[in-house]
Amino acid sequence: MTGALFAQSLVLGILLGGLYALLAAGLTLYFGVMRVVMIAHSAFLILAAYLAWYFHERSGLDPLLSLVITVPLFFVVGYGMQRFLVSRLRPISLTTMSVLLTFAVALTIEGLLGFVWTGTQRRVQLEYSGASIEVAGVSIAVVKLIAFALAAVSLGALYLILRKTSFGRALRATTQHPEAARLIGIDTDRVAGLGFGLGLATAAVGGTALALDYTIYPSLHWHWIGPLMAIIVVGGLGSIPGAAMAAMLLGVAASLLQVPLGTTWAQTVFYLALFLTLMIRPQGFFGGRLAQRF
Amino acid sequence: MRATRRLTVAAVAATTALTLSACLASPDQGDDQGAESGGPDDPIVIGVSLPLTGDFAEPGKGVQRGYEAWAAHVNENGGLLDRQVELVIVDDQSSADRVASDYERLINQDGVDLIFGPFSTRLVVPAAQVAQDYGFLFVEPAGAAAEVFEQGFDNLFYAAPAIADDHYNHLADHILALPEDERPETIAVASMDDPFAQGTAYGLRDALAAEGIEVVVDEVYPPNTTDFSGIAAKIADSGADLLVVGSQYQDGVNLVVALQQQGYQPEMAAISGAPTNAEFPAAIGDKTEGILAPTGYTPDAPYPSNEEFVAAYSEEHDAEPAEDEANAWTTGQVVAAAVEAVGCADASPECQQQLIDWLHGNEVETVVGPLSWDAQGRPQSAHLIQQYVDGEITIVLPDDVKEADLVHPKPEW
Repeated sequence: MTGALFAQSLVLGILLGGLYALLAAGLTLYFGVMRVVMIAHSAFLILAAYLAWYFHERSGLDPLLSLVITVPLFFVVGYGMQRFLVSRLRPISLTTMSVLLTFAVALTIEGLLGFVWTGTQRRVQLEYSGASIEVAGVSIAVVKLIAFALAAVSLGALYLILRKTSFGRALRATTQHPEAARLIGIDTDRVAGLGFGLGLATAAVGGTALALDYTIYPSLHWHWIGPLMAIIVVGGLGSIPGAAMAAMLLGVAASLLQVPLGTTWAQTVFYLALFLTLMIRPQGFFGGRLAQRF
Repeated sequence: MRATRRLTVAAVAATTALTLSACLASPDQGDDQGAESGGPDDPIVIGVSLPLTGDFAEPGKGVQRGYEAWAAHVNENGGLLDRQVELVIVDDQSSADRVASDYERLINQDGVDLIFGPFSTRLVVPAAQVAQDYGFLFVEPAGAAAEVFEQGFDNLFYAAPAIADDHYNHLADHILALPEDERPETIAVASMDDPFAQGTAYGLRDALAAEGIEVVVDEVYPPNTTDFSGIAAKIADSGADLLVVGSQYQDGVNLVVALQQQGYQPEMAAISGAPTNAEFPAAIGDKTEGILAPTGYTPDAPYPSNEEFVAAYSEEHDAEPAEDEANAWTTGQVVAAAVEAVGCADASPECQQQLIDWLHGNEVETVVGPLSWDAQGRPQSAHLIQQYVDGEITIVLPDDVKEADLVHPKPEW
């Protein structure tokens, strides 16, 4: 491997890791708040990507502007989904049943996308699609940089919300000990709904970032959910900083391993990390068990 | 008591039904399949399974449009053997397991008279196996990889000019005939892990490598790959003169964009698959200039039935047909030629064998020119090479049918 190729792959890994971090953050949030395994997270991601593409097709405006619509929309949908679907599951079997429920939601979204926009593969064609900035011999694609910036800003915002607002404190209290949170007067049902909405809002941001740089089609979400699930387990279920760190680490590892091993084997890094985590440290490497700390 | 009575009645009814159906089915099984087909007024039912969803949805729909256009055209012109043609198309979701059971069902339960092939090598092989088991003629529009013809099928015919390994033959000859200083010295190859995509790319790679051109990158990626920046980084780092890509559709688009993002500028880019899709220029924008692609079909080809095809298709779709549509139409033409010549179109093994035998011994005029096959079903022609010149995809090789000269080195993208 030449130095230039190493540097290029490292940068690509960091850019990809940033996007993974944002997507995994949402996924781990659902689990932290509600012990829900949200298989449909990546389906909502593709839905947001389609909405961004459709917005661009219809209006001719930059697909990033669709965030103004999709982020509030997904927040409301997430809140509604938690209050009217997920919260109806019996607490005792919530985690396992949520897999089935959200699996069904994912299939429904995939089917509807195919029904409305057909299976045709779509791509947002922009002036700056192929553009890049060259820094010290490393090409950084503009669209990847935008996606990374979106991810960084959203993760930062998420961090501030959870750390600095009273809603964030209520959410973290609900995550750590729901009964105790109720005892001190937190409306945990409402907080859980809002937390779910927050998670889905990150999918809207991630999907828009995805639409900038990928060809999208209805079944694409299956390619994303596997690595994302692996990331949140490695990072420690429910821990947002853990998910972000695991995402960055595995994203870079996949990108660097791709050079000597090829694309087929580089993809397995997520699952190898998952197996290793389950064998050595089942509670995850970064977060405590079920996000005891944030 | 009552339950026993009911059971007895049911048993008697079932036995009667079985006996009746056996009596109805037993006489003259060979030349008449009972009520569902064979009569002069009944349509000829043709069964097809296509990937209308999943990884191959894009080309699968192209094939569907081609089949439907062909059937409509035949029916407008008096049908086949004076019978109307009816297509039964089912979706196999791009799955090799589904496609085999689909053809089983079409043949056994739906009782179709003829079958047409699905899209893509990975689906053609299991489908052809089913057809072989039932003695059905199997003409297919899209299974061009070498392995399709190495499975021992004697009922299979590929309805296109050439198999995958020969697609780039004209381009390989052209490159090797270039003067020493213009000839590329290094090649970077990237192909989907798919027999067809690899067949085309490796046909060119091996032809050039045999003449001493150095292969500096040789990447294979799984069909579900969505992020191509890593492969692009390797290719850009190698700085190869010639880029050879074996793609399906979305992978070709994503790889080209990733290469542009990393500022890689090859002297020549040969990409099979994606560029001949009508959506390709819309997805890539104005950066297609100079990209080369082999094609088994172009609407401008001067064959007589092609003008008829382009006119009939354009009238219905407001767009000219692409390769997938053309190969589907060719499939229809090939089967129709055999049916007209032999004079039968039913599921009986005798009729199917006559159709197979006729195609082994004859040449058929199609929209991609006259086609004939070897014993394993390989067509005996070669592919045209197209290039994006001034934003239009144009025939540049071979010399006798070219619309423009090949542009070399290619403009920057």
